[in-house]
Amino acid sequence: MSKPVKTILAYVLLTALALTMLLPFLWMVLASFKSLAEVEKLNPFPTIWHPENYLSVFQQVPFARYYFNSVFVASWVTFLTCLTSAMAAFAFARLRWPGRDKVFQLYLATMMIPGVVTMIPNYTLMVKLQLLDSYAGLIIPAAFSAFGTFLMRQFMLTVPSALDEAAEMDGASPWQIFWDVILPMARPGLITLAIFTFMGNYGSFFWPLILIKSEHLRTLPIGMLFFDTVYGRQTNLIMAASVMNIIPLIVIFVVSQKFLVQGIQMGAVKG
Amino acid sequence: MKAVFTGAFVILLLLSAMAWSILPKPVEAGKTQIIWASDDNPARRGQIDGFNKIATDAHVSLDPNNTGLQKVVVQSLAGVGPDVFDSGDGTLNVLIDADLAWDVTDELKKRGVDIEKDSWKAIQTYCVREGRVYGIPSNAAANALFINKTIFDQQGIPYPNGPWKWSEFLPIAQKMTIRDDKGRATQFGLLIDWWLWPQFVIQWGGRIYSEDGTKCVIDSPEAIAGIQFLHDLIYKYKVMPSPVEEAAMATQGGWGSGTITQFGEGQKAAMAMGGRWWLCTLRNKKQFPDLKMTVCEAPYFNRRVFYGYGRATFINKASPRREDALKFLLYMAGPNYNALINKQADALAPIIKYCYKPEVLFDPEFPEEDKNQVWLDAMRYAEPTPTSPFVNYQAAQRILTRQLDLVKNDQKLVPDALRDAAREVNAEIQKTIARNPSLKAKYDAILAKRPVATL
Amino acid sequence: MSVTPTAMRPPVAADAPRTVAKRSSRSDWRRLWQAAPFVLPNLLGFLVFTAGPVLFSFAIAFTNWDLQRSVPFRWSGWENFSVLMADKDFWLYFANTVYFLLGMPVAIAGSLALALLLSQKLKGVVIYRTLFYLPSFTSGVALMILWKALYNPDFGPVNAVINSVSDFLHLGVKAPQWLLSTANLVGLDVEKVAFTGKQFGLGARDAIIIMGVWTAIGGSNMLLYLAALTNVPQELTEAAELDGATNWQVFRNVTWPQLAPTTFFIVVMSFIGGLQGGFEQARVMTNGGPAGTTTTLSYYIYNKAFEEFQIGYASAVSWVLFSIIFAVTVLNWKFGNKETTY
Repeated sequence: MSKPVKTILAYVLLTALALTMLLPFLWMVLASFKSLAEVEKLNPFPTIWHPENYLSVFQQVPFARYYFNSVFVASWVTFLTCLTSAMAAFAFARLRWPGRDKVFQLYLATMMIPGVVTMIPNYTLMVKLQLLDSYAGLIIPAAFSAFGTFLMRQFMLTVPSALDEAAEMDGASPWQIFWDVILPMARPGLITLAIFTFMGNYGSFFWPLILIKSEHLRTLPIGMLFFDTVYGRQTNLIMAASVMNIIPLIVIFVVSQKFLVQGIQMGAVKG
Repeated sequence: MKAVFTGAFVILLLLSAMAWSILPKPVEAGKTQIIWASDDNPARRGQIDGFNKIATDAHVSLDPNNTGLQKVVVQSLAGVGPDVFDSGDGTLNVLIDADLAWDVTDELKKRGVDIEKDSWKAIQTYCVREGRVYGIPSNAAANALFINKTIFDQQGIPYPNGPWKWSEFLPIAQKMTIRDDKGRATQFGLLIDWWLWPQFVIQWGGRIYSEDGTKCVIDSPEAIAGIQFLHDLIYKYKVMPSPVEEAAMATQGGWGSGTITQFGEGQKAAMAMGGRWWLCTLRNKKQFPDLKMTVCEAPYFNRRVFYGYGRATFINKASPRREDALKFLLYMAGPNYNALINKQADALAPIIKYCYKPEVLFDPEFPEEDKNQVWLDAMRYAEPTPTSPFVNYQAAQRILTRQLDLVKNDQKLVPDALRDAAREVNAEIQKTIARNPSLKAKYDAILAKRPVATL
Repeated sequence: MSVTPTAMRPPVAADAPRTVAKRSSRSDWRRLWQAAPFVLPNLLGFLVFTAGPVLFSFAIAFTNWDLQRSVPFRWSGWENFSVLMADKDFWLYFANTVYFLLGMPVAIAGSLALALLLSQKLKGVVIYRTLFYLPSFTSGVALMILWKALYNPDFGPVNAVINSVSDFLHLGVKAPQWLLSTANLVGLDVEKVAFTGKQFGLGARDAIIIMGVWTAIGGSNMLLYLAALTNVPQELTEAAELDGATNWQVFRNVTWPQLAPTTFFIVVMSFIGGLQGGFEQARVMTNGGPAGTTTTLSYYIYNKAFEEFQIGYASAVSWVLFSIIFAVTVLNWKFGNKETTY
């Protein structure tokens, strides 16, 4: 196959797949501008556009507050997870110490345990620590990720050992190697982990549902849930809320794209 | 890298300061804060405001809870449950056994409230067991038929009047069901939420459990006949949408109480069985601009009974603010709350005497609702859903729902489905008493008392 | 084909710790002291919020703990587990859980294919990548509400497409009833774990699988593959291409071995996620129905624990689920070890 044919084929495939991904969202956006009665009709575009649907969402529930809470909690969790996971992963991937593999296997083992198993013990713990119905109760238990440690370790394993060996020869301390050698090399991994963590917590559903009692601490998914049950079956408004729900994620993803591309350029491990 | 992390940390600290500064301040100083776990809806907010306006030393705020008892149980287990909470059908045994509900019999009696005498009988199983009162009903519902006047007028059929029988109902419903040349219905005679199936069991004289609760008898000929009729409304008489047709009518994404919207929007159904609480939604003229409706008593078979249901409100036994919470319960038994429930049409008020008022029978603000006597009659003839103390309600419900789902989808014959349901529920009863020695003692005592002949 | 065996070896980096160890002459304690500040913040949190609760719940699995206090607490030994073996529901829901894994290979292969397509030097890759990633960053609840609407048998866009294609080609295909149907691709029965042939078709379970593949295909797995692909040394692929290897040969002999650690990671995580999944879908979309066909083990655990309050029994079920997951992971690990070095 010649190069141009291959390129065209690739584009056709990519476009077809992209459309498959996009159409449900398109439907969602269009539904968010329809009247309730029109949502069930098959016409793709609303006959009359109802941008005021978006306004109604804010009128019916404190949506801005949900926004802030979700972003705030997810940001803290992301920061803490990245930091603690990267540090631990460094110790697991680049340092040798007695018991290392045993501890790592313990991490691995707990990753497989269904979350519902730890829920009651954890809830009781939150009460004992007086963290119920607080931001801290949402942030702290989520900040120590076995998954993140595993992920970062995988990434750090792919960094050539020549790098830190050289640094060590030059008399660098483990901290210097961590901050200045390994972490920059593991940047694609770090960004990936940051995106995972942020998304996971932004959409987290079960833990906030049982932990949060006050309306002013509700996060978006919980807010959406109550919005849905309270204001009945206003599919158009729910879709409007969903659209607003994903906008911050799109922004964050588009911003982090730049870093991802950077990671691709420099991550090709030339050294 | 270090700089990135430090920068992020500083930004987060700033965000935290902001979060801290926009935390709401305590509502009113000097008032005890009482948390009420209930579902969050506009009606509930009004009911809370009603209390907060008159209470001088307590303030109720809502802890929205729509996940059943789960959140209340887990929170109470951790010692931080709400002070007051709502619960629905079949949960009383759990509430008592889990030591969640405060026995308020004496407290209420001291203050002149007699739930057993004053409130609707059909709803008392929610909060009264063996003469002890654990909470008070927060509202009460029994179903009637909503009538779409426009459809009746178009076809020149007079609006029906109850009491009437299913046999009188069928010809009208069949006339009201219109299908196009492809056989696809454009209009149905009737809509019923499937979860109302117990109404058909009791109207045909059947029961879900034997009177002493030791046995599931949903496979009795009466119960089978009742469910068979419900099934036939879809598949034999075809006046009601099948699940597929129903989904086709549903507003996109709507589920659960979608029946209300299906009835309210467009001209899709001539009649729909529902409770007075539907009005909370249907009164919205913006959402249902063309709806003209009235009500009529639901048809019956050989017993003029209707399935009664609602909610009840309890005080958390472990709450340190029980005494203040009691004030809220008393408010719910009093005139203001009851009048409000009737006014909001959040079903009917729990206390009977507040329902027989001229402003309930005719509210000038809603002149269209001119037949409110229907609701009172339905409630008067309502019977509660019988539950068994010997099986967990949810566990039994899962079994029954599975079999009734199969019936609804026409995948299993009614007698087979109900026989399997009874067999499985009875197995669950045996499992339950095997786990629980005190229940087993009670169960054995009942069986010992029972004359051998009836076995 | 002239790609040398050395070029196909797994990443050098995987050997790194071993090299360090060989040279190392420091005492155990010193090395522990050095690693401690790195590990401890995470490890402490992990012990308090994960490992500790896990142990606690393990203990509970051997009790009859019931939130209804009329059931006197006692250590019940293996009782929960023997009840479970005879619990028909458990096996039905286990079968559902396994059935849901059918989407996994499709999703992983799809992710790899997407990543390979995206790693070509084409213009507009950033846009495509963003579009593919769109499904997995929408919040779960919103996405599920959306798909419920899409699956509406009569007015939903999914069936509208099926019907119009069928009409156009005169296929006479009857569109599936999706979330309302107990049918499934392999003919699994509704009331027992058996194939009775009455249930062939597309139903609720398949609807959820399709949604899952759609969500996952351009999501985290694709990102992981993309990140891994950037780490495949270009010299290797270029050398192989210069030597006249076909695309497939380059992929099979150069790229695929380099991706092995990532593939291993993805397979392990997909099994773990898949086996404990299905809770949100059941909760938001189907309530576990119709007739229990979308109830997975995790939803069953939730029901047992928080609806029926049998904490002990629910813990036992969750530990059985964990054992299954663990066994599968060990198998993966053994298998994965052949191709990758850990």
